[in-house]
Amino acid sequence: MNAIEIRNLTKSFRGMYALDGPDMTIPQGAIYGFIGENGSGKSTTEKCICGHLVPDRGKITLFGRPYTDAGVRARVGALIENAGCFPSSSVYNNLMMQAINLGLRDRKEQILRVLKIVRMEEHARLAFKKCSLGMKQRIGIAMALLGDPALLILDEPINGLDTDGMKLMREILVDITKNYGCTVLISSHILGELEKIATHYGIIRQGKMIREIAASEMEGRAQSYVSLKTGDIKAAFELLRGDYITEFAEGELRVFDVEDTGRLSAFLLQNGQTISEIKRHKIGLEEYYEECMRGEAN
Amino acid sequence: MEAAITFERPGFVTRIKGMLGVDFYRLFHTPLFYIFLGIAAIIPALVSMGASAETAGMFTNAWQIIAAESPLYVISDMGEYANMNMVFLFGGIMVSIFIGHDYRSGYVKQLFTTHAKKEDYVISKTLVSAFSMVCMCVTYFIGGTISGTAAGLPFTVNAGSLLCAILGKMLMSLGWASLYTFINLIFRRKFGISIALCFVLGTGIPVIGAAALVGNSGALDIFLYGASVQACLSSDILSVLICLACSLAWTMIYNVLGSVLLYHRDVY
Repeated sequence: MNAIEIRNLTKSFRGMYALDGPDMTIPQGAIYGFIGENGSGKSTTEKCICGHLVPDRGKITLFGRPYTDAGVRARVGALIENAGCFPSSSVYNNLMMQAINLGLRDRKEQILRVLKIVRMEEHARLAFKKCSLGMKQRIGIAMALLGDPALLILDEPINGLDTDGMKLMREILVDITKNYGCTVLISSHILGELEKIATHYGIIRQGKMIREIAASEMEGRAQSYVSLKTGDIKAAFELLRGDYITEFAEGELRVFDVEDTGRLSAFLLQNGQTISEIKRHKIGLEEYYEECMRGEAN
Repeated sequence: MEAAITFERPGFVTRIKGMLGVDFYRLFHTPLFYIFLGIAAIIPALVSMGASAETAGMFTNAWQIIAAESPLYVISDMGEYANMNMVFLFGGIMVSIFIGHDYRSGYVKQLFTTHAKKEDYVISKTLVSAFSMVCMCVTYFIGGTISGTAAGLPFTVNAGSLLCAILGKMLMSLGWASLYTFINLIFRRKFGISIALCFVLGTGIPVIGAAALVGNSGALDIFLYGASVQACLSSDILSVLICLACSLAWTMIYNVLGSVLLYHRDVY
């Protein structure tokens, strides 16, 4: 079953289309990395799923039910833009309000459980406004985690976090999908971080979904290349272009689909080329994203 | 293998219990509520002090601080206005701050994410706001009694009529709360307009203005301010029923309109 299915969703603001009919399919249990430039429609899509925005047209189903179904929406947790907490209230009181809102019975235990997941047990009595940005993001996750959500929607949850905060957030997300069977839709600009956890990706541009791909599929498609800097880069290019796919980029020579780097360097050395730098690269999410964007732009 | 997920569809009672629970929790944990209760208690004292110092003889009975002798749609001076109806004025400000805070903090996003049925929000806000105004009526009553004693005013009254007047005003809290909730939903992104409009409507100026044209007419009882005025010291069970009918009718109208608005407009 798919956790989220979106078909032909449109949403406009004052005649300007923020969403221009994107389709989206997120399998149950996935961590779906939602990628796009600023203003591409990521947050708008997420807000439509959460019922914060009213779509002009289109269909949204969550676990096979309409997104307006009270039963399914009671099992959605979201962190969109901010944690949605009252600044003067303590972390605990904010969580208590959410627990009451969700009609949880064992509220205290549930609050302690989510505080533990986000490593905030020791700060429960702190006023929300006194928390750091990283803590606020974690509280937002804790709010979203209350009530055993089947679907988590997180809008830029790692923005503004330091390296430790990002690592912690990554651990939390992997933990909740593995141990709590949650499906996660996460949008982020930090592709390197997303790449470490996502199982599926969706790339949106100008309100249109331009690519949806499973991480495993992307891995299979991903090319690797060797970057070279030699004494005479043009001569090296001439030597290699008969046997390899090569290109110049950023002052270096890129040689694709090289199985044996040692053999390549030996060949160049035998032909009088001095190698000053040689590195093997794998095309990751960032390059794939840029490639998709370039392809779409062309 | 995919874990099967089951979704229980919560009924209205379950949904509203959650929403009411969180609103009451917020109400009792916000200092604002207690401040307004205090204000509602202090105002009668200020009114009676003003009466004794400036308009001596305006109140001949302590209970006039709670309600006028008879329905007065046309107000000739502030003293006639200054009774328990003022609670609806404070209530308007309180509801604006209460709902406005939902939007400014972003908490409303949490509510609407988990509550697909938007009428839950409107009903809950109306009921909790009405409750807060009823509490203000109680503190106003206590404040009025103490200040009446302090001013040395007589307490002679038909107890049944006084009870009907207070009950009528308490019942009107529901209608007023629904109006304020609706206004705050319309101007949810413009806090200043919400609070100003609630204040203006709470004073009853539109009805007072209409009364200035048509005179003291019972026809004005169809409006919230008119029915609130109907609850006076010469009230009877009919006045209570008028208040009940008017309050319920407007509550239904405003709640339906508020829900339709939320369903068709973005939260932000």
